[in-house]
Amino acid sequence: MNVFPRWMNALRVLAGASVLAAGVYVVALFAYGGSPKTINAGFSPEQPVPFSHALHAGELGLDCRYCHTTVEIAARAAIPPTETCMNCHLRIRTQSELLKPVFDSWASGEPVHWKRVHDLPDYVYFDHSAHVTRGVGCVTCHGRIDTMERVRQEQPLSMGWCLDCHRNPAPNLRPPEFATAMDWQPERPAAEVGAEIMQQRHLKPSTDCSTCHR
Amino acid sequence: MSSLIREPSDVSRRRFLQVMGASMALASASGCHWETEEILPFQRRPEGRVPGTTRRFATSIECSGVAASLLVTSYDGRPIKIEGNPLHPLDRGAASARSQAAILDLYDPDHSRGLVQAFEGASYPRSWKEFDPWFAGHMAQVRARKGAGLRILSEPSSSLALASLRTRLAELHPQARWVEWEPCARTNKIAGSKLAFGRALRVQPRIEQVNTLVCLDADLFGLHPAALANARAFAARRRPEEAQPLRLWVVESSLSLTGAAADQRLALRDEQILPFLLALEARLAGGKAADGLFLESLADELLAQRGAALIAVGPRQPAAVHALAHRINANLGNTGKTLLYSEESDPAGVMELGELAREMEAGAVETLVVLGGNPVYDAPCELEFRRALRHVPLALHLSHYRDETSRACTWHLPRAHALESWGDCASWDGTRCLQQPLIDPIFPRRTPLELLGAICEAKLGAPELVRACVAPGASDEQWKKILHDGFVEGSAARPVEAALASFSVPAPAPRALAKELRNGELELVFAPDRNLYDGRSANNSWLQETPDAITKMTWGNAAIFAAETAAALGVEDSTLVKLKLGTRELEVAATVLPGQATGSITLHLGHGRSAAGLVGGLEQENIETVGFDAYRLRSSDALDRAGSLEVMPTGKSWQLARTTDPAVTDSIGRKQMEGLVEELARVRTLADFRKEPGSERESEHESLWNKPVAEGVRWGMAIDLNSCIGCNACALACQAENNVPVVGREQVIRGREMSWIRIDRYFTGPERSPRVRFQPLTCQHCESAPCEEVCPVAATMHSAEGLNDMVYNRCIGTRYCANNCPFKVRRFNYFNYHKAIEAEGAEVQRMLYNPEVTIRHRGVMEKCTFCVQRIQAAKIHAKNEGRAPADGEIVTACQQTCPTQAIVFGDLADPKSRVARLHAESRGYAMLAELNIGPRTTYLEKLVNPHPALEEHDG
Amino acid sequence: MTASATTKVRLDEPYHRPLLIEGAEDLASVTNRVCGVVERPKPPRAWYIAITISGSMTLMLGAMVVYLISTGVGVWGNNAPAFWGWDIVNFVFWVGIAHAGTLISAILFLLRQKWRTSINRAAEAMTLFAVCCAGMYPAVHVGRIWVAYWLFPVPNQMQMWPNFRSPLLWDVFAVSTYATVSALFWFMGLVPDLATLRDRATTKLKRVLYGFFALGWRGSARHWQRFERAYLLLAALATPLVLSVHSVVSFDFAVSQVSGWHTTIFPPYFVAGAIFSGFAMVVTVMVPARELFGLKELVTLRHLENMNKVILATGSMVGLAYATEFFIAWYGGNPYERFTFVNRAFGPYAWAYWIMIFCNVVVPQFFWSKRIRTNLWLMVVVAILVNVGMWFERFVIIVTSLARTYLPSSWGYFKPTWVDVCTFAGTIGLFFTLFLLFCRFLPMVAIAEVKTVLPAAHAHKENGHE
Repeated sequence: MNVFPRWMNALRVLAGASVLAAGVYVVALFAYGGSPKTINAGFSPEQPVPFSHALHAGELGLDCRYCHTTVEIAARAAIPPTETCMNCHLRIRTQSELLKPVFDSWASGEPVHWKRVHDLPDYVYFDHSAHVTRGVGCVTCHGRIDTMERVRQEQPLSMGWCLDCHRNPAPNLRPPEFATAMDWQPERPAAEVGAEIMQQRHLKPSTDCSTCHR
Repeated sequence: MSSLIREPSDVSRRRFLQVMGASMALASASGCHWETEEILPFQRRPEGRVPGTTRRFATSIECSGVAASLLVTSYDGRPIKIEGNPLHPLDRGAASARSQAAILDLYDPDHSRGLVQAFEGASYPRSWKEFDPWFAGHMAQVRARKGAGLRILSEPSSSLALASLRTRLAELHPQARWVEWEPCARTNKIAGSKLAFGRALRVQPRIEQVNTLVCLDADLFGLHPAALANARAFAARRRPEEAQPLRLWVVESSLSLTGAAADQRLALRDEQILPFLLALEARLAGGKAADGLFLESLADELLAQRGAALIAVGPRQPAAVHALAHRINANLGNTGKTLLYSEESDPAGVMELGELAREMEAGAVETLVVLGGNPVYDAPCELEFRRALRHVPLALHLSHYRDETSRACTWHLPRAHALESWGDCASWDGTRCLQQPLIDPIFPRRTPLELLGAICEAKLGAPELVRACVAPGASDEQWKKILHDGFVEGSAARPVEAALASFSVPAPAPRALAKELRNGELELVFAPDRNLYDGRSANNSWLQETPDAITKMTWGNAAIFAAETAAALGVEDSTLVKLKLGTRELEVAATVLPGQATGSITLHLGHGRSAAGLVGGLEQENIETVGFDAYRLRSSDALDRAGSLEVMPTGKSWQLARTTDPAVTDSIGRKQMEGLVEELARVRTLADFRKEPGSERESEHESLWNKPVAEGVRWGMAIDLNSCIGCNACALACQAENNVPVVGREQVIRGREMSWIRIDRYFTGPERSPRVRFQPLTCQHCESAPCEEVCPVAATMHSAEGLNDMVYNRCIGTRYCANNCPFKVRRFNYFNYHKAIEAEGAEVQRMLYNPEVTIRHRGVMEKCTFCVQRIQAAKIHAKNEGRAPADGEIVTACQQTCPTQAIVFGDLADPKSRVARLHAESRGYAMLAELNIGPRTTYLEKLVNPHPALEEHDG
Repeated sequence: MTASATTKVRLDEPYHRPLLIEGAEDLASVTNRVCGVVERPKPPRAWYIAITISGSMTLMLGAMVVYLISTGVGVWGNNAPAFWGWDIVNFVFWVGIAHAGTLISAILFLLRQKWRTSINRAAEAMTLFAVCCAGMYPAVHVGRIWVAYWLFPVPNQMQMWPNFRSPLLWDVFAVSTYATVSALFWFMGLVPDLATLRDRATTKLKRVLYGFFALGWRGSARHWQRFERAYLLLAALATPLVLSVHSVVSFDFAVSQVSGWHTTIFPPYFVAGAIFSGFAMVVTVMVPARELFGLKELVTLRHLENMNKVILATGSMVGLAYATEFFIAWYGGNPYERFTFVNRAFGPYAWAYWIMIFCNVVVPQFFWSKRIRTNLWLMVVVAILVNVGMWFERFVIIVTSLARTYLPSSWGYFKPTWVDVCTFAGTIGLFFTLFLLFCRFLPMVAIAEVKTVLPAAHAHKENGHE
């Protein structure tokens, strides 16, 4: 009477196994594909002007704050106005085709359309000044900008990633005066140095929701 | 829904602000990544501008010829919040609900954006380019005729610049006439002072000097032009430690904010106030015992308090009452002590509106320039102003909105918002305030100064003119200071000597003495609306949805009846009734309110606009009007009250959008309420308090939850019910600060209003003279918060500093927290209340929003955060300077604007902080402490000071 | 033995009990009768009519849910202060219905109540379908269903976990566990019967389908031995669940501090109520079903009567619970709680309260009379009224408590919208659609189990039974 031949019993095992495998696969797929590391880290859009941080911050050794002037006093590090570029480029490379958008902006008063690279969700309130003045180096979150021809997002900038540091900041702390130093290395273990800085400056980073979400 | 046209969406707004420059665009990037933002930096960044930070500028707004001095916060060049000017001698940092709501009008899509010319029934959009040359030509002709047939209709204004232009106009167009109209003017007051002193004088109350304050239909804390200062002084005199605390007597027909604060209140028909005052004067002059214990005790106290009493009279009372009050004050020796007199602008030589209307009908007016105002809507009904306008070949209307008048005129000219304008005006005490633009007109709009300047070919532009008038010959340094302060220091009006003339007051009409009235001779009182005033704010959805302080009514008005009156007439609450005044009829909603004088029916003006806009009603686009238009019954001979009202119940029911459910009509509910109120909103007599200062407090219970560790900062709040007058200023401050959405009439009826701070209002005691209790209610940030325990996704959590954090982006909207909140202060986004401004073309509306606060989307819970964004900003700022925020450095929005400083926020862990000291006060108590949830807000008992002889007469 | 003693023994002798199955049924005829329902070429006319109605109601449910999710929870009547309304009322209502099945199958099985065999299959099926209806509500009633998966403890980049203190979370686990176990239990029992259907199947398709789900059942001794073992284990597993699920559901209220919710009596009270409503629903559907498919001999009047007795018992328990609540509210002296109950009985919602009292406390008392208890028409009427009453019980508990909580200033009144009504009607449609399909395509009575209570099953005993 049975329509299913005996050998099919073998399939039962197979079927079970494949269902399991499928489950694992789907979970893995979402875990990997959905993670900010996959989606955001490494994001590096084409900019209207191929501005090279490697050249300006690296070779020429401009301090971050030369352009990003408000980083120590405000939430935003502020992309510099065209004026800042023109301080030099009134004299240097005045004919460069690549700089055309900058010159146009200077002439017309229209802004240069830069692409945002590090973009947090709108419900996240991050404050640069609060971090830089406490001794979190630019490099910690932005990576070795001074080696980047084109700016690239190094870190996932995910909530978990933020929390890791807020829960254990010591390894990522440095004397604030070195905040913008890209190549600064602690003489002693970073955690030790950080621990001391926390001591001196009474730093206890908050993990309250309202620290970032308002 | 029409009312929702206001709010911006989270995404668009926040992105808008995240860019460094002034604007931005969205573009989608290639590859697997979310949409990419563009960053558009300045070409040259203005000096001192730090992207993403706020700056504040002082300016002022004029209403009915009186200035409110303001400090306006501007974010990346966009004004986003209006606060009071802390330097100003009167306002001292406070701002009325209406002043604060003005920011909404600036971005209102209905706020006129262009010229419109009406021509043979059709209307055509025009530009100033087209208008200016044509108008110049036309005015040249008018000038050739010495301005014959030219009439300028303006609102009363205290502007010197305007006055100077007016004189110039008189030279240029000798034949032209200047007309002034204002539906809620101070005509009676001026007439009164003329009767008493022979000249126009203004009363400057000195409440800090008063021991006995008598308000006869005078809303000193509500609609009075100096209400903020009055309320502040009043609150100061009510502190329990005051040796001689002020006693407030109020006689009025309908509950006002002042009446709600009264120690002794008598509900009389408006028309009965004259006889009352006559009797009082007779009694004071040593006459025989007059009728009534109230008057007796009042008279005795006044005599006892010679020189420390003040009798104030409201603008609705006829000249005689004002004159009488002046005389009594003088005879009691109050003048010069509890009140001073200053010069009042005398409208002599100004044409009456009625006269103008007759001229228009006669065709004598060729060019009519209407500077602001809305006469077609609010002129006395018998003038038929709309009809009269048809006889005017050229009528120009400069107005913020294309309103009823604009649509009846041949030209509508868009008027610049106060925050876009140069100008000047004077506050009640005469202090000269400056009006400076925070932003260039977003659309081509002009100010009255500019238009009038064009008419009389002024040499100076508005800014120069203003400077020349406000600070003639001031150095640039002085001028800089004026620009910074927003007013001219020490420019307050000098007090003047007022010599009392002898005058006699006509005996009151017999019916005024009548104790019983027949239907058909009832009294109808026209009062300006507490939120919409005379109707100018009718298109402001914030004000429409802010519950009226007393009736708790939103989105509309209703005729207010006393219970007895209603019963006698067969009128029921939430039904429609027909009001009949002579030949005029009007169908309005009816409501029954305690404290209303029997036989007197009050109807608020400012509702039922037919061309206000998408919020207030726009017949042409089938957007229903909101409320009922009282002006249809208001005629020149009865601007304040009519004495021949007939009321006819229609039996039709009408849904009133009240935020406090009045359905507590069932005996069980009422009984429970009256029982609880004594616990929740505590009131005691000063006498009791002095006997037994301590208010009963709940002792600490054992808790199953482990209490949060009490180390470090502990944010908390104290609200002094003794100071709160229920003025709604805090509610508006919160709305603007926290991007609280407006939900509209239907949703309010469903009980879904979103206000983060609500002012509970309870009536207790007898129907005729109820005790009114106000209780501002925000999230209490409980130590062990019931909401936190039950949220399945941990979307609301306790912060180390004791804040009850609400994380919108984590909330999935089970609403369990709100069920478990005993205070019901949590608000749920049942719909996407920001939908309208996610639309294309809503960019301007989005500019309003505070970028430091996330806009909440559909399906999430929200609530008061103690203005956590302000806390964080202050903390970061302080820590960047390597210090802790000082006490008073962090100020919540509601606290900042409270005129009576009833709200105090701060760190409870610091025993020296103001809030900690208030928590320790003996009047302090926590609501529902027995639930052992440890609210972080402490309320301070209200102390009333009833007259001992009358005490047992009210509840 | 003494005479008296023997009498006593004789009385207890099981073979003096009346028969569980009426008519001259033997093993074969039972099989024919039950399978006949499934194998008959066409179901009765009534079936088509019924499924058309319930089917279209189900479609309406779909429409309502789409409208709800695309527009917002505001399309329902929920407001402030009644942040929960019909959504949770219906959820609790359906979970309650879902109780009878597993109770009958598991607990009565462990208690060796053989009369259960005729009705347990249908009851279990109902359980599943009711759980479907119930489970839908918590899912769609949240404001942002697209992130509702945060309710489950899934590792994530936010490093966020659910709040395990929240009763709602316990609910998620309780209900999903209950659904899973009930489904397993039901399917387990089906296997032998599916095999029977497979073997009797006439068409290839049926043979393949039934065959697939019969999991290659051959009825060998070993199969039976393992089947019995597994069935017993599952029964043991399901039994505590029956009690736990509704206890946990009641925690949603009991753990909160809303007066009228915050009551220790809730778990037993809810369980009793659930069984009450569950049995009422079984009666409501089984009476017409046995008429429709000619199963009178298998599902006998005695079965129905037994269920009615349970209804009477649990109904009285619920009545006792109501009384206790009131007493405690008064005796406890908490002004808020006292008010809540006075308000329930005499406030704006009094009508709902008295409907509840009438349907749940008064009506079941009629079952004291054997005549009513055994009259098909009357028992259906009573059962339906009980279901109505139990719906109102949840309405009274949830809505009236929320509408008037602590602060008089925030009191309100809940009014449902047409969407509320249509959604509820839709779930009823869904329930009956599933049940009708079940009647048509699966053995409504547990063939194998019924056979065990046939005289024929005990042929070796001298006089027919045991």
